[in-house]
Amino acid sequence: MKKNSIYILFLALVFTACEKDDICLSPTTPKLVVRFYDNANQTALKSVERLSIWADGKDTLSIYKSVSLDSVTIPLNVNTTQTIYHLKTNTVDGNKANNLINTITINYTTTEEYISRSCGFKTIFNNVTISSNNGWIQSFTPTSLTKIDTQTSAHVKIYH
Amino acid sequence: MLKYIISFCLFITSLSNVAQEKEALDTVSNKTAYGLRLGIDISKPIMGVIDSNSSGLEFVADYRITKNWYIAAEFGTQEEITVEDYTNSTSKGSFYKIGVNYNAYDNWLDMNNEIFVGFRYATSAFEQTLNSFRSNTGSDYFSGNPVTTPITTKELTAHWTEFVLGIKVETFKNLFLGFSFSYKIMLSVDQPTNFKTLYVPGFNRVFETETGFGFNYTISYTIPFISK
Repeated sequence: MKKNSIYILFLALVFTACEKDDICLSPTTPKLVVRFYDNANQTALKSVERLSIWADGKDTLSIYKSVSLDSVTIPLNVNTTQTIYHLKTNTVDGNKANNLINTITINYTTTEEYISRSCGFKTIFNNVTISSNNGWIQSFTPTSLTKIDTQTSAHVKIYH
Repeated sequence: MLKYIISFCLFITSLSNVAQEKEALDTVSNKTAYGLRLGIDISKPIMGVIDSNSSGLEFVADYRITKNWYIAAEFGTQEEITVEDYTNSTSKGSFYKIGVNYNAYDNWLDMNNEIFVGFRYATSAFEQTLNSFRSNTGSDYFSGNPVTTPITTKELTAHWTEFVLGIKVETFKNLFLGFSFSYKIMLSVDQPTNFKTLYVPGFNRVFETETGFGFNYTISYTIPFISK
């Protein structure tokens, strides 16, 4: 009887020791969330026709290759303090001659914040300022953000 | 591991044979030694050879107070490198554990083997160094560069309790081989700023629920004070 109870105790200990903390389920480094609105009716979302997005000197983001969307999430470079993105639209046809390209520049400082064993560290972007070369983007708001630490809602509204 | 368990079983079997022979020859008194038993955990030096991220030393001691109760203690040092996807850290320090063992095994005649359950209070003083890390960007478009400036946090402490289950077999007169398994529950642990204590010497890996487990293989020798 005594031995049985020890055995049961041992099994109980083995099973309670099993837990999963090797899979990262927490939010990591936030991306910049951008939503596109109609410049004429600034409360209405308006999709960008044949939108392609790429960072300066890099390939086009694979999920944003000539797509029609009113909301995008784009990663920022955590190793520098500036990320430059080129946003292409084409409202006419697939012809290259009709492409319109707008460049937006995002400046920021970074800090690393520890999350957990499996997720490691995430980067938080502070003192974010955004500028545009005013191509097909007519205006945007806001031009500066104190902090980007989540991506649950839109950071920037772009009017076109 | 299974091999060791089998060899322990064989030891027990052989010992019981010896005991039976003795009984047949004459009537021996069922006296066993009471004294201070000192030993070393042989798994830690072996792990140090197998795993270059781990090095440690552990001494064990117990003192028999009644037929079935022992006061038990362990102390030692451990240095462990924890490698995760986004972090690489080192924990280094010493630990002390004190508690009791209860021998639940009914020995034949003058045999002195144990199947024991135990309880410990343990504490560790350690330091943790974040050797390198990189930001988890969640995408491969921009991935984080490794930051390799070590950040050391000294004077960290941890307190915990352990439930121990193990066996000890007397292989030669007063010389014991032992194996034990322990389940640990953290009471309190210091955390470095903007990082986490992932490993505590003596506690081993700290799981998300602040529990842990460990084992040891020991060779120990009883310095007999009296036999009764």
